[in-house]
Amino acid sequence: MFLEFRLAWRNVWRNPRRSGLTIAATVFAVVLIVLSVGMAAGVHEKMIEDAVRLRSGHVLVAGEGYLDHRTLEQFVRFDAELEQRIRDTPGVRGYAPRVMSFALLSKGQTTSSVALFGIDPRLEGSVSTLSGRVNAGSFIEAGGHRQIVIGERLAAKLSARIGDSLLLYSVAYSLETAYELFSVAGVMRLSDATLDGGLAVISLTDAQEFFVYGDRVSEVAILTDDADRAEAVRSALTDALHGTSVEVSTWDELMPELVEVILVDDAGMYLMVVIVVIVVGFGILNTILMAVLERRREFGVVLALGLRPAAIFRVVYLESILLAQVGLALGLAISLPLLLYLQATPIPVADEMAGVMELFGAEPVLTFKLKPLNPIGSTLTVIALAVIAAFYPAVKASRGRPVDALRSV
Amino acid sequence: MPSNRSFAVVGTCGLLLVVSLLVDSPLRADSVSELEPAPEGVDARAVALRAENVLRSDQTFMEAEMIIKSPRLTAPRRVAFQSWDDRAEKRSFIRILEPPKDAGAAFLKLHPNLWSYVPRVERTLRIPPSMMLQPWMGSDFTNDDLVNESSDIDDYDHALLGVDSHPGVEGLRAYVVEYVPHEEAPVVWGKILGWIETEHGTPLRQEFYDEDGEKIRTIHFDDIRVTGGRHVPHVWTVTPHEKEGHATTIRIREFRFDADFDEQIFTTRNLKQR
Repeated sequence: MFLEFRLAWRNVWRNPRRSGLTIAATVFAVVLIVLSVGMAAGVHEKMIEDAVRLRSGHVLVAGEGYLDHRTLEQFVRFDAELEQRIRDTPGVRGYAPRVMSFALLSKGQTTSSVALFGIDPRLEGSVSTLSGRVNAGSFIEAGGHRQIVIGERLAAKLSARIGDSLLLYSVAYSLETAYELFSVAGVMRLSDATLDGGLAVISLTDAQEFFVYGDRVSEVAILTDDADRAEAVRSALTDALHGTSVEVSTWDELMPELVEVILVDDAGMYLMVVIVVIVVGFGILNTILMAVLERRREFGVVLALGLRPAAIFRVVYLESILLAQVGLALGLAISLPLLLYLQATPIPVADEMAGVMELFGAEPVLTFKLKPLNPIGSTLTVIALAVIAAFYPAVKASRGRPVDALRSV
Repeated sequence: MPSNRSFAVVGTCGLLLVVSLLVDSPLRADSVSELEPAPEGVDARAVALRAENVLRSDQTFMEAEMIIKSPRLTAPRRVAFQSWDDRAEKRSFIRILEPPKDAGAAFLKLHPNLWSYVPRVERTLRIPPSMMLQPWMGSDFTNDDLVNESSDIDDYDHALLGVDSHPGVEGLRAYVVEYVPHEEAPVVWGKILGWIETEHGTPLRQEFYDEDGEKIRTIHFDDIRVTGGRHVPHVWTVTPHEKEGHATTIRIREFRFDADFDEQIFTTRNLKQR
């Protein structure tokens, strides 16, 4: 084996320019794969993170049928026991119980129908960024009584200012007419126009009193350590809550349109990667084949001297793998630090892409993320490439007959 | 309605009837399968108008009790109210009498607006037209059912499907009329089927279908009494089909037809009077 390795190593350096070009092509492929996969991972993770922080959380605990009906009839009893169970589940970073329903909000002659969120001001911040969207006045305060925070467009529609008293009107869980005066504590700016023109937030305790709802909530949104842990947290919670009429869903079930965008984006990226890999593969094939063809005589001699065809096969193969390894090492040496740098400093984007990202409530920046699968996958791809590309030249080299080979030039 | 059009309507009905007898669709099977053909010369719109005139006069007062059943409630919820219905002017007024918590609440419809007064905080709010088909006072009736924003006559095309000899009440026969809403009518129904007693025009039953032909709710009219020369049902029960365990009954304590209402009733000021 040592002999074959020495032969292969010498052959790599027999034509440094040719080998150099092949190595450069491999480096290019590795850098491209590592960076595109890293960018896709980063952008998608950011999109998911921003979307779950806007509302749903990574995991949502809700009453059976809540996702289809969204009425007061589907609920979860948010008692100390449930809270403890959620808190004890590994991977849970934050949780927020919410009562959600529809109501009419009125000031003077103007009435608007609103989506009403009853949130716990102490817990909401651990999941959503709702409180950070207030741009006038303040968010619902812990312990505050009958305060309401509304979207900017809604405030304009009702010509409501901070401190104004608004009439909230709906039907309670007890089927009584629910109505109460609330004082505007703050106005928030939401990028989604529908929400901005139709979202009102009150405290969880006020909402439970308003709807005569006891300790019921519509949903508990849970933020996990990262999106990939959602499934584990879901199954842990499903087991813990077994036997209750509660449904636990993950973000990908809650936002199928986001999953689709990610899938389409991934498909486009992988298509490009595959094309690049094929092109580089033909480059390696070409190099090795040329190297084999110009050494027909040499192979003939060593065969005549008694070297076995299998050894020649190995020599050619080793050449190909050596080329690929050098390219791979250089590629990773360039791309990994670059990726880590980009991960730390996201690039702002503009125009069309920004629009798509904002549609899903994402901040328009290009983020990168290095996941362990990325360099491992790139390494395996390049090695597979070298193995496949060298097969034909290696076979050709080992099958030559010494007589023919010696006769050729 | 011109006679050639009503002929066409009757013709269409006959065809529909034949189709309904041949096609074993579930919708037809439980509703309109065993109909006798309607007699010649009966106009669907006239039948519908007669039914409308049994329940409503130009000015109608009623006092009623509503009983709401729901799986949410351990005991049925009772709401007593009085209603003033001015059909000619398209306006109406409702005052809640019971339960004590809601007593004094009131509704005023001045076309196209609906106002609601809430006593404890002494505020009046305008209920947007989009809420017309939302439940009234937590019941299975809609706001529209109570304040009659849509008209059974003007907002629908009528077709006579036939005569049902077993409409559910012993000894009575009923015309079955199909109400199909006009494009711009303020309703969500795809169609309504109405059972209207042949002799006195008493409505016996109404079935409400959505645009996909799915039956959404049924209203049964019972306890027919003769009041002011009318054969009027005094108990109305609505059963939603999708919602297990839900039902609302309105029991009318007093009917007063062809009343002469004071103009002051239909004012926002009256909302605040107790």
